[in-house]
Amino acid sequence: MTALEVPTHLVDAGLIAQLLLGALAVLVAVAAPARLRSVLTGSVVVLAGIAAAVTGSAALVGAVGVGLQIPVVLPLAAPLEPLVLAPDRLGGLFMALAGVVVALAALFGIGYAHGPAASRTGWTAFSVFAVGMQLVPAATDAITFLLAWELMAGGSTALLLADHASREPVRRSTVWYSVMTHLSFLFLLAGFGVLAAASGGTSWASISGAALTGTPATTAFVLLVAGFATKAGLVPVHVWLPRAHPEAPSHMSAAMSAAMVKMGVYGLLLLTLRLLPTGPRWWSIVLIALGTVSALYGILQASVQADLKQLLAYSTTENLGLITTAIGVGLLLRDSGQPAVADVALVAALLLAVSHAAFKSVLFLGAGSVLQATGERDLDLLGGLAARMPWTSGAFGVGALGAAALPVTGGFVAEWVLLQALIHVGAQADRLLAIVIPITMGIVALTIGLGLLTFVKAYGIGFLARPRTPAAAQAHEAGPAMRSALVLGAVLVVGLGLAPGPLTQALAGAVSAGGVATFGVTGLSLEAVGVVLHPVALTLLAVAVLVPLVAVNAVLARRHPRRDVTLAWGCGGERTSPRMEYNATSYSEPLVRVFRGSLQASHVVDVVHHDQSPLLVEQMTYTQETGDVIEHRLYQPATRLAARIGDLARTVQNGSIHRYVGFSFAALVLVLVVVAL
Amino acid sequence: MSSELYQQLLATTTGLLLLTAVLQVWGRSTVRAIGLLVIQGTALAGLVLTVGVQAGEAAAPLVAGLLFVVKALVMPWVMLRSARLIGVTRERSARLRPAVELIGAAGLTLLAYAVSGPILGDTTDPATRAVPVGVSLVLLGFWQLLIRGSAITQLVGFLMLDNGIAAISSLTSGGLPLVVELGATLDVLLVVLILGALVVRMQAEEGHIDISELRELHD
Repeated sequence: MTALEVPTHLVDAGLIAQLLLGALAVLVAVAAPARLRSVLTGSVVVLAGIAAAVTGSAALVGAVGVGLQIPVVLPLAAPLEPLVLAPDRLGGLFMALAGVVVALAALFGIGYAHGPAASRTGWTAFSVFAVGMQLVPAATDAITFLLAWELMAGGSTALLLADHASREPVRRSTVWYSVMTHLSFLFLLAGFGVLAAASGGTSWASISGAALTGTPATTAFVLLVAGFATKAGLVPVHVWLPRAHPEAPSHMSAAMSAAMVKMGVYGLLLLTLRLLPTGPRWWSIVLIALGTVSALYGILQASVQADLKQLLAYSTTENLGLITTAIGVGLLLRDSGQPAVADVALVAALLLAVSHAAFKSVLFLGAGSVLQATGERDLDLLGGLAARMPWTSGAFGVGALGAAALPVTGGFVAEWVLLQALIHVGAQADRLLAIVIPITMGIVALTIGLGLLTFVKAYGIGFLARPRTPAAAQAHEAGPAMRSALVLGAVLVVGLGLAPGPLTQALAGAVSAGGVATFGVTGLSLEAVGVVLHPVALTLLAVAVLVPLVAVNAVLARRHPRRDVTLAWGCGGERTSPRMEYNATSYSEPLVRVFRGSLQASHVVDVVHHDQSPLLVEQMTYTQETGDVIEHRLYQPATRLAARIGDLARTVQNGSIHRYVGFSFAALVLVLVVVAL
Repeated sequence: MSSELYQQLLATTTGLLLLTAVLQVWGRSTVRAIGLLVIQGTALAGLVLTVGVQAGEAAAPLVAGLLFVVKALVMPWVMLRSARLIGVTRERSARLRPAVELIGAAGLTLLAYAVSGPILGDTTDPATRAVPVGVSLVLLGFWQLLIRGSAITQLVGFLMLDNGIAAISSLTSGGLPLVVELGATLDVLLVVLILGALVVRMQAEEGHIDISELRELHD
């Protein structure tokens, strides 16, 4: 286990390659001329991402290295155990996931990054963030984990600040992000501290070997879940997410939303499956509650957002909620003597994570492409992009299908597996299961339904119909690097949907679940619950049904060619103008009406009358605003309280240096006197 | 080194430290304060050398040399240069009357001796018995920080405080390892260098170097 040995294992070599490529990326970002910086640094980061994908995949299918010991210059690890990077199967999955997302985002960034995001700082931050994130799941002990975690957090914060000079919201959202990130880190530090103190070691092996129970285990569980939930953007600690994702440069949003939040999921899985696998039953109920509330609240907020990137950010909260729900259900069932169904639920959690990574990358990158082409994120100001940006809208469409969990996408497979697990729970004997599972199923179903609505809106309002503004009308297609990233992402989404079998089997290995097998070459068989999914066969079947329909339609169309019809009483007017189209606000208006309370919706209708007569209306403006009820009820009182305490403290600190020195002096004299007495 | 010589040297150096500290409180000239600092730095280096040689530390001459160069030569020179550059050679405003300042200093020296006894317990080691001098230095340094307004005399007070800490650590542990002394001394050197530049800048921007009138940043 030394760092200087020539690595003979693929996993070790991959880890070294990632570290070297990360260092090279930083070097190139600093040294390369501005003209070439994005291309060169972006390419190196793509390579680092690919290295992580290969390493992670190898670890996922069971390859193990001897481990890469981090040479520490400072005696950081002296009283503790050595810091070693060696991903296990679960870690390998998340490393591969991060690697693929990083590669896609960096490829996109080559064409997309401009201004501050393409500066030395911008690319350095992105490289540090990417490599830090890839190494989080490779850690085998708490110190290494936290080191990589902070690299990830620091890099992302720096890049989030990229546009701070030109836009004020960036500064505000960075403050939120840094506060929540630090909070998460503090929770983790405290949680791991409790585990290390109780087990006498910092490595995963010694913590899980101690088989902790009782108060230390519960304390650590609560602290660590709080920390990981903050990173995963679960309600009620999601508030940084809808602020940070929209304001970050889009390739960064994609990496954050598709991969970084997954590190929270990895943490939850690490905690509940490896470190503290024998927790009491209420732990899983906590996870289910966190998950279902996040899923429902996230998708509800997403469905009424008009800002495209904010919509995607809230949808991230929803998906992470579903993943957490699946983990909770899996743990609950493992505890209830139904290991076979539990395995299916855990596999569903991993499938949800993988498919969300794929489609959310595509969606955020697509949103970035739209933002670059039009300068707009507001759906109410877009429209008609399908004709002007065919590649982007094609890829975004595939991503939206995935997010709406429709067939031939990975999203469908993942949610199908989750529902299969929920349906096949044998709940007759157990009262708790009989209550929890149906409620969970109802919430998951409602979430999936609202998800469909949300992404129909995102795609339909943003890309179809006619452009609502000149900016949308003059949109142009993205450049080759951005296009290829989008297409690759879309291919992944469809690939996961068409051939889920092999991946699912590998995922089952990561959580040591049995009862999952491939069916045919690409299909998926959940032997544990006795169901089979074969997307290719389903697709062929669907095509077989569709082909005659399309053929008949085509024949009919040729027989009765379409005639131009003018509006009968239109006085030469057009049938529709862009102002008459549905927009994002009007589309979600019924939903706002239903969920008025939890969305804190308010609307103002502003009527400007004509000068000559109050009966003539010159202009009408409808403004609708929705708020985040958790932010209003939980965070604002807390920040107000903090501000009040701060005001009180100001009477003690009045800015005079002499007074401060006086305080220290008085304290010193007091201590001396007390000690001497 | 004979025990008598050792005690003599110890008494001389600690006596010099205490004397310079009390003299600091008395008087308003900046140049004089810096001059006293040179004597204090030399005395401290001598103290460290004495204690280190007595304890058989091989690196003692090196540590003492480092202290002498930094505390008796470099820092005073930097401060003198800043003072010359801005043309401030006297403390401008008085926060307390000189008599009160001196009485306060005397009281603090007494306090240092009073509290050191119970903390150190009964000891016959001459070095440990000299620790109250270090504590007085710390308290008098603090006192200087409290009663003076000019940035340069503040810095003098801060350095006195640091000298006190160095004296205590050297007296109680029989000489510090080179790496610890190096870290602490270079830290303080950095502070002096930065403040030296800052003082010049303050004079250029504000027209004075009285820190009690710097209220812009108080929110």
